[in-house]
Amino acid sequence: MDKPVKPDLNFAKEIIKAGGESLKKCYQCSTCTVVCPLSPDKAPFPRKEMLYAQWGIKEKLFQNPDIWLCHHCGDCTAYCPRGAKPGEVLGAVRKLMIQNYSPPSFLAKWVSDPKYLLLIFLIPLLLFLGEMAILGYFSGTEIPRGENGEISYVAFLPAVPWIDVPFMALAAFAIICFYNGVKRYWLDLASVAEVKRKDIYGCIYETIKDVLLHKKFQLCGVNKGRYTAHILVLYAFIGLAITTGIAAFYEWVLRWESPYPQTNIVKIIGNISGIALIIGMFLVIVNRSKNAVKQGMGSYFDWLLITIIAGVGVTGFLAEILRLAEAETLGYASYIAHLVFVFALFAYAPHSKMAHMVYRATAMVFAKASLREEAIKQEEAA
Amino acid sequence: MEKKIGLYICKGCGIGEAVDVEKIQNIGKNALRVPVVQVHDVFCSREGIDLIKKDIAEQGVNSIVIAGCSPRVKTYEFSFPGCFVERVPLRELAVWTIETPEEKQLAAEDYIKMGVIKAQKGEIPEPYIIETVKSILVVGGGISGMTAATEAAKAGYDVVLVEKESELGGFARKLYKRVPTDDYTKGVLGDVNLEPLINEVTSNPKIKVYTSSKIEKIDGQPGDFDVTISKNGSTETIKIGAIIQATGWKPYDAKKLTKKYGYGKFKDVVTNFEFEELAKKNKGVIKRPSDERVVKTVLFVQCAGQRDPEHIPYCSGMCCATTLKQARYVTDGNSDATAMVIYKDIRTPGKLEYYYKEAQNTPGVMLAKGEVTGIREEYDKLVVTVEDSLLGDKAEIEAEMVVLATGMVPTTKEPQDYLIGLAEAAAKGDEAKAKYIETTKKPEFILNLGYRQGPELPFLEGGFGFVDSNFICFQYETRRTGIYAVGPVRQPMNMTEAQEDAKGAALKAIQCVEHVAKGIAVHPRAWDTSFPEPNLTKCTACKRCTEECPFGAIDEDEKGVPFYKPNRCRRCGTCMGACPERIVSFKDYSVDMIGTMLKNVSVPSEDDRPRIIVLCCENDAFPATETAALHRLKLDPALRFIQLRCLGSMNLVWIADALSKGVDGMLLLGCKFGENYQCHFAKGSELAKYRLGKVQETLDRLQLESDRVQMYEVAIDEYWRIPSIIDEFMEKIRQIGPNPFKGF
Repeated sequence: MDKPVKPDLNFAKEIIKAGGESLKKCYQCSTCTVVCPLSPDKAPFPRKEMLYAQWGIKEKLFQNPDIWLCHHCGDCTAYCPRGAKPGEVLGAVRKLMIQNYSPPSFLAKWVSDPKYLLLIFLIPLLLFLGEMAILGYFSGTEIPRGENGEISYVAFLPAVPWIDVPFMALAAFAIICFYNGVKRYWLDLASVAEVKRKDIYGCIYETIKDVLLHKKFQLCGVNKGRYTAHILVLYAFIGLAITTGIAAFYEWVLRWESPYPQTNIVKIIGNISGIALIIGMFLVIVNRSKNAVKQGMGSYFDWLLITIIAGVGVTGFLAEILRLAEAETLGYASYIAHLVFVFALFAYAPHSKMAHMVYRATAMVFAKASLREEAIKQEEAA
Repeated sequence: MEKKIGLYICKGCGIGEAVDVEKIQNIGKNALRVPVVQVHDVFCSREGIDLIKKDIAEQGVNSIVIAGCSPRVKTYEFSFPGCFVERVPLRELAVWTIETPEEKQLAAEDYIKMGVIKAQKGEIPEPYIIETVKSILVVGGGISGMTAATEAAKAGYDVVLVEKESELGGFARKLYKRVPTDDYTKGVLGDVNLEPLINEVTSNPKIKVYTSSKIEKIDGQPGDFDVTISKNGSTETIKIGAIIQATGWKPYDAKKLTKKYGYGKFKDVVTNFEFEELAKKNKGVIKRPSDERVVKTVLFVQCAGQRDPEHIPYCSGMCCATTLKQARYVTDGNSDATAMVIYKDIRTPGKLEYYYKEAQNTPGVMLAKGEVTGIREEYDKLVVTVEDSLLGDKAEIEAEMVVLATGMVPTTKEPQDYLIGLAEAAAKGDEAKAKYIETTKKPEFILNLGYRQGPELPFLEGGFGFVDSNFICFQYETRRTGIYAVGPVRQPMNMTEAQEDAKGAALKAIQCVEHVAKGIAVHPRAWDTSFPEPNLTKCTACKRCTEECPFGAIDEDEKGVPFYKPNRCRRCGTCMGACPERIVSFKDYSVDMIGTMLKNVSVPSEDDRPRIIVLCCENDAFPATETAALHRLKLDPALRFIQLRCLGSMNLVWIADALSKGVDGMLLLGCKFGENYQCHFAKGSELAKYRLGKVQETLDRLQLESDRVQMYEVAIDEYWRIPSIIDEFMEKIRQIGPNPFKGF
């Protein structure tokens, strides 16, 4: 016997506010579940999630890996006969989950409400302008140049302490938030379904393989372009992470300060990744606009992350080009903008849509660990 | 007036090429002794019609046999007032469906022969005209009844409205709000606002209202009913032309739902009707009965005791919209209140779909498909168990109050149940009958008809107490001519549907009074001036006609001699088919006429050329056959089709007549009967099947195989089945072998 169902009107209203305003139109016909390319035959979604959402049954929604197993292809939304947009509703539920699991909650609020848009960017901007003020750039001190007299962002804001200290602090903060959130989420998931597999690392390995191959995205029907766009962005991020790693190696181990020549491996990987990121983000935006009618435009929450990542890519490239072009003021401005976007990306990662990579991965690992599909198949066979 | 027959053979549509018209002409002139025989290339042309008209004017032809196309086409062209007209469908039955030229010719000759015989035997009917009144009685003053009354009055007819309560309004009077009839976006709760309709009824000088009144007795026939109304002990008898029964429904007895839903056991489990009363009492504030607390969580159980074989197996059609309305009583003005609805299906047809959508969009209205399997009380809450839902395999939901959507039971159910019980007891003998009357409480009867077949409108077997109306073809028409059932007494429906229904029934009542005034059948043979004329001197008072008449048109005196009430009659001829003495005839349709026709069909002497007579319903099976012909489907040339008004008019003597003449088999094509019957005359095909069961005896006496006579049910759209039915039948006949009487 299940626990008594407690419909929660307020939570239902929260979902509606969070971008699920079409939620109430669902009449449980199950078209969504049938057309969903990701929903397994024996453990289907998102029909039941739509009903839980209408009734505001928070536990059933949150303690359920299916919410994250949805990759928001939008096929359900495209085929829904009532315009209930299940894809959008699940997106709204995911947003509420991120808010629920990632502390502190005020940050979650900032990234989901346009009211705080300015504040989000104002904080890093003030931070970096402050650093510039400390260095005296606003009081007449000349901005130092590189060894050969060229523009050098390292000379402008030396990595230690002006870059590395705030960003390492941010990274640590993000990791703590994620650790906390993932732990709570895992415990919630495990309170409903049993972890059956012992080799959690095996599950993690399989999940990473799935993510790298982007297997699930390939299945999406309505938004076919999404696979290319998302995989480009993913590999761009991996490339940029490698770039950062090599750069850190140069700086900390080899004590070789940037800028590096364009022919150096770090620049090659960095530039290619940067281009991939910009193309990927361009495709993301094009796809979203193209499919807006069929699968929904997405919420503010989505668009904030799109803006931040696109901003990171564009300002990064702009800073590099302007540096090479020796355009002083514009170059420095772009570099500061770039830092602001990168800050936003890291600082709000546990609360913004960026958190999807962690929670979705967690849900995927859990689904494998709990033998979600296999268990049902065995039950059927028995 | 002396009969003069004219035979007109059309050569159009390929008839001229397919058959030897000259030979037929000679047969007409010489063998059949038809005084006027004409042939024309296209009789439906102006020239052809003028030719016939000229014969009528100059030669005094008054019985016209047109051999050409189906009687269902060219009806405007071939209408000759004052003449008996018989159309022989040579084109369909001889030319299109038969393959070989010899067989085409033989069939054409047979059909012409039968057509001429029909003209020889038939007379032009004289209408049955008595003094009639045109006023309309409406029984029941609810939404349906008041609407029917105002509609009939608006059309200029006097109306008498009888209501048993002291006020008009019926069930609508008990409602707090109603589902609005206009745009739902302007508000989901409409005012009931009965006053304008009540005022319209009471202020209309053409409508006379009797409240707190009952019908004590109805005698007579359409156009000439004697209705006795009783009010406060005094009675009054008035003449009425037609009657509309709009007595509506009663809620299903929720006490029968105690076991399942705890109704009666838990105070806060109420029916949707009680919930409506609660809302009305407190002007929309919902206070639960147990402690008068204003509730915030209410759970509605849809189909409570409905679509449930243990209670009422049908859907009442109005509860879904009613619940969506009542859910708003809970949520409107209470932003934190929830109305949960557990349903089997939401049934909101037509425009109501928008009402459903509006309700869905309200956050506080939570809907889920599921099956409520139990309700229990815990502290001050009710816990409802829901199975088969997405909320969980066996979910438990807490609520402060539970509303059961119980359904509609027609007011006719109680009298019917009593009458069924009485009939069953009577079948066991006089003693059992007397005991039944003594021990069973007699419910209040509604119409108290002075008809031999019973005091109330007939019901459909398996129809759950609703009045039998031919809902496929003729809604409102009950099996009592001139009495029309309207609204939820006929079929479950909501207020808007009942109002629409009332308009239809008012028109039917008007059709009735107008037709009987002219001596025409009311419906479905709404052109027919013939009526049954029994030769009572030969009547043996066997009561078959009085029992079998589907419309209760025949009463009987103490000795059992039938007493025909022609205005109640629909002219189907069931009495003609039933009568073992063959004394019932119409001017243009009789046992002798059809008997002579089939006795004159050619019977080939060769053993491998069977001859089959097909007796065919002219409303469904015959048009289906013609459609088969139109599609050029080929039929066995052994067949000869004879159209009957209804298979119910089939007299068993025809089977004996045909088989003794050497015909190898008889095929009866009638309408679907039973629960979803399609028979225009409700019982005709069923009675034919019943009589066929008895034909065994006759065939045995003739030492013939009973399989030679078979009946099939065919719908008008099933033309494609005709060839396969016939092939199957022919197969059987060929297996049995030729009729031993052949050649005698």
